[in-house]
Amino acid sequence: MSDRDSAGLLSVRGLTVRFGGLIAINALDLDVPAGGIFALVGPNGAGKTTLLNCISGFVAPSEGALTFDGVDLLTVGRHRRAALGIGRTFQNVQLFSSMTALGNVLTAQHAHLHATFFTSLLPFGPAIAEDRRAREVGRSTLALLGIEQYCDAVTGTLPFGVQKLVGVARALALRPRLVLLDEPAAGMTLTDVRQFAESLRRWRDELGVTFVLIEHNMALVQNVADTVCVLDYGRKLAEGRPAQVLADPAVLEAYLGTAGRQEGAHA
Amino acid sequence: MPTSQSSAPPAPASAGQQQTLSRPSMPIWSGRRAQVVLPVGALIVALALPFVFDMFFGYSAGFQLHRISLIYIFALAAFAQNILTGYAAQPSLGNAAFFGLGGYLVAWIAGDLGQPFWLAIIIAMIASAGVGVIVGGPALRISGAYLAIATIGLVLIASSLFDFWDTTVGRMSYDINTLPGVLGDDHSLYYVVALVTIIVFAAGAVLLRSRIGRAWIAIRDSESAAQAFGVNLTYYKLLAFIVSAALTGLAGSLYAIWAQTANSSMSSVDETIVFLAMIVVGGLGSLLGSALGALFVGFLPLLLGQLPSPLNVGGLSIQVSTLTTGIYGLLLLLALIFFPAGLASGRDALKSLLARRAHVGGSNE
Amino acid sequence: MQAFLQVTFSGLVTGSLYGLLALGLVLIYRTTGVLNFAYSALSTFGACFLYVLLTSRGMNFWLAVPLSLIFAAVLGAVVERLFARPMLHAPIFTKAIATLALALVLRTVEQAIWPQLAQTEHFQTPFETAAIHVGGMYLTAAALLSLVVVAIVVVALTLFLNRTRLGIAMRASADNQPVAQLMGAPVGLIFLMTWSLATVIGALGAILLAAQQRTIDITYMDPVLLLAFVAAVLGGLDSLPGALLGGILVGLVENWLALAFAGHHIGPLDISAPGIREALIFAGFILALVFRPQGLLGKAELRRV
Repeated sequence: MSDRDSAGLLSVRGLTVRFGGLIAINALDLDVPAGGIFALVGPNGAGKTTLLNCISGFVAPSEGALTFDGVDLLTVGRHRRAALGIGRTFQNVQLFSSMTALGNVLTAQHAHLHATFFTSLLPFGPAIAEDRRAREVGRSTLALLGIEQYCDAVTGTLPFGVQKLVGVARALALRPRLVLLDEPAAGMTLTDVRQFAESLRRWRDELGVTFVLIEHNMALVQNVADTVCVLDYGRKLAEGRPAQVLADPAVLEAYLGTAGRQEGAHA
Repeated sequence: MPTSQSSAPPAPASAGQQQTLSRPSMPIWSGRRAQVVLPVGALIVALALPFVFDMFFGYSAGFQLHRISLIYIFALAAFAQNILTGYAAQPSLGNAAFFGLGGYLVAWIAGDLGQPFWLAIIIAMIASAGVGVIVGGPALRISGAYLAIATIGLVLIASSLFDFWDTTVGRMSYDINTLPGVLGDDHSLYYVVALVTIIVFAAGAVLLRSRIGRAWIAIRDSESAAQAFGVNLTYYKLLAFIVSAALTGLAGSLYAIWAQTANSSMSSVDETIVFLAMIVVGGLGSLLGSALGALFVGFLPLLLGQLPSPLNVGGLSIQVSTLTTGIYGLLLLLALIFFPAGLASGRDALKSLLARRAHVGGSNE
Repeated sequence: MQAFLQVTFSGLVTGSLYGLLALGLVLIYRTTGVLNFAYSALSTFGACFLYVLLTSRGMNFWLAVPLSLIFAAVLGAVVERLFARPMLHAPIFTKAIATLALALVLRTVEQAIWPQLAQTEHFQTPFETAAIHVGGMYLTAAALLSLVVVAIVVVALTLFLNRTRLGIAMRASADNQPVAQLMGAPVGLIFLMTWSLATVIGALGAILLAAQQRTIDITYMDPVLLLAFVAAVLGGLDSLPGALLGGILVGLVENWLALAFAGHHIGPLDISAPGIREALIFAGFILALVFRPQGLLGKAELRRV
């Protein structure tokens, strides 16, 4: 128990990912402690999303180890990682766009539901009872994010900002221990970002969820992150408290120096 | 600026707009009223139809009912194709293979071997499901365009084999000579077919709203997100193949009983087109769409049958029977070009239009 | 040995026809993303037109053939405008279903204007009885002609796609349509040309087949189309040489199977029936796809999360 705590909730050891000749992640070591907000920053192409995709199983690393709460993640199929308590959002949202918001948060609970094909055919019985409970969980998750009024709205028709919130709701409805957020604040207004930061801290404290956050918005990172890790060319450049890491001259040169240009390209 | 749901009677025009903004179009089956009214209404119409026909058609009522029974069978086949293609997003053109398999197995087991028909139908469904596993397994490795061609190949193999069986035995088609009274009489056959269809649709409606149905739709909307949230792609795609195959086998065996014969044209590319036409015209991923599509396919030949044959157009003398498939293709083409989401989407559009009207008129829910 | 050579020759001839049709399928699929299940109906149109010119008008064969090919070119262009263009941005599966519907429409039109072709009719050519004997093999003029024509078409098509401005623009827009459009390639014209060209190729294939079997009707191309699809997919659906090789492979296998099965029975079952052969070819094809989902010569598709 104490061993595990010292290694953190998620530990990355010697992780290397190669795409053909390109090295996206290079012998990376990381420890994400339980119960915090862990921010991953770095210029585009630094390997942040690749790391996320390794954790949720969409990219198989060439070398190294990934351990989540003592479980060797690399032996777990990607559709089984949700059951371990790993939820995520996607940079391009990837909602189940023909479903309602409630449908999305219901689908997110797939791994926790056990109805089989035959019980699912009946309009009564265990499958229906289980579904009713899942609906309650779903509704309260939407309420937690303040988007319960979109409960029955088809998500493909919603404004982009709301879609991103549904994406976060979907990750939280899984009742996760670890949530991977891929640029949640991209495209948000300043007020929205401030509100989002507040919510993130509340979810961390109230739900006890650990967040891994990829973000280019430094104000948000500075505001919410307990730990910041800077990646550059698939290597760790610096790690520590936000105030101290983001003031590091090496980080400023490698990342923030080019950030202005990239933000411009984004807009 | 979202409005709260429990507002006072709003000012007409602007409130109507805000309502549609905060609550965009709902999917089919989500409204409470639609959930109750539609199925109950359909059930009443289905059960009352024979009586109405008796009143209107007199002696030919049986004949007319027999034609209507076919629409139910097509609705089953359409639903099966829709589960696979409209929900689980597998572009398979192979369902006609199972349609023929169901028909031939019933003709063989019940007609030739003298087993009871209910048993034959169940065996046909299980056998179709089994072949569905054998086909679905490899199909998971094949994607998109390749799958479409490979599954057409499956239909061709099935039809070749049925043809081969027929010619080896020396018959034109596999006739079912002895039917029990329940299946031989037009009225009772109608009830059997209608009941089976209604049960399948009711169970299907529950299934599609369950964890399983949501997993299929999730796969269709985003395979990556579905996997990230615990959906096992292999399992659910395979399940869709199996369920679809079993239901198509059921439809095929009912068809053989209905026609009192099975022949290799049940597994033909033309039959595949019929299945696809139904779900494309009716609406991909819509339960109601499957039924609408079957109505369309069922009634079109009846309507064209009203035309005089041969039809004389500008010096050409055209047999109306040859025209049927052409018009059918033309309508399918037009539907694909102008209503890419199918007839059921027209219903949604109509609904939101009516809702707006109601709000503009000042009435509240 | 004699029989084997004779069968191999017929395999090459029918295979090259499958390959020719597969070329047309690949051209249309690569450029406009349409899996064209209406290709047999489209090709038949040209051959039926030729038949009507020959019988009803009594026209000279060598004059009627170019006329029919021009007719096919126009037909292809019309179909592209009325059918393919409005559906350009639909999903591949929707377009494939639409071509199945298009096939029904074309078939009905053919039946309405040429009702006599609902039955199988004699297709007469000036060289229909001509043949040569080489080392005990019997080579018909129609078969030899079709080998020559296929070779010419393949060479001409390769030169066109690699040497002419329009051909290069066609290849560019097949590889990346938006970029080609930005570079100023006349994309609309290219789509039109592709359908036109493919329909001419199809009509040529249909005429050559009718000349070999010396009969014609409205549906005789349907079984051929499915084998041409097999050929195109085996070649990877994106490669012209692949399509041709795939066609020849299918033709050879089909004829060799026929030789191997001829006169054989398993118990009371006559396995020399053509249906069994076709079923076997398709089963082999599906197996080949399972082990090489991208076709024998196709490049593996890159997928991104």
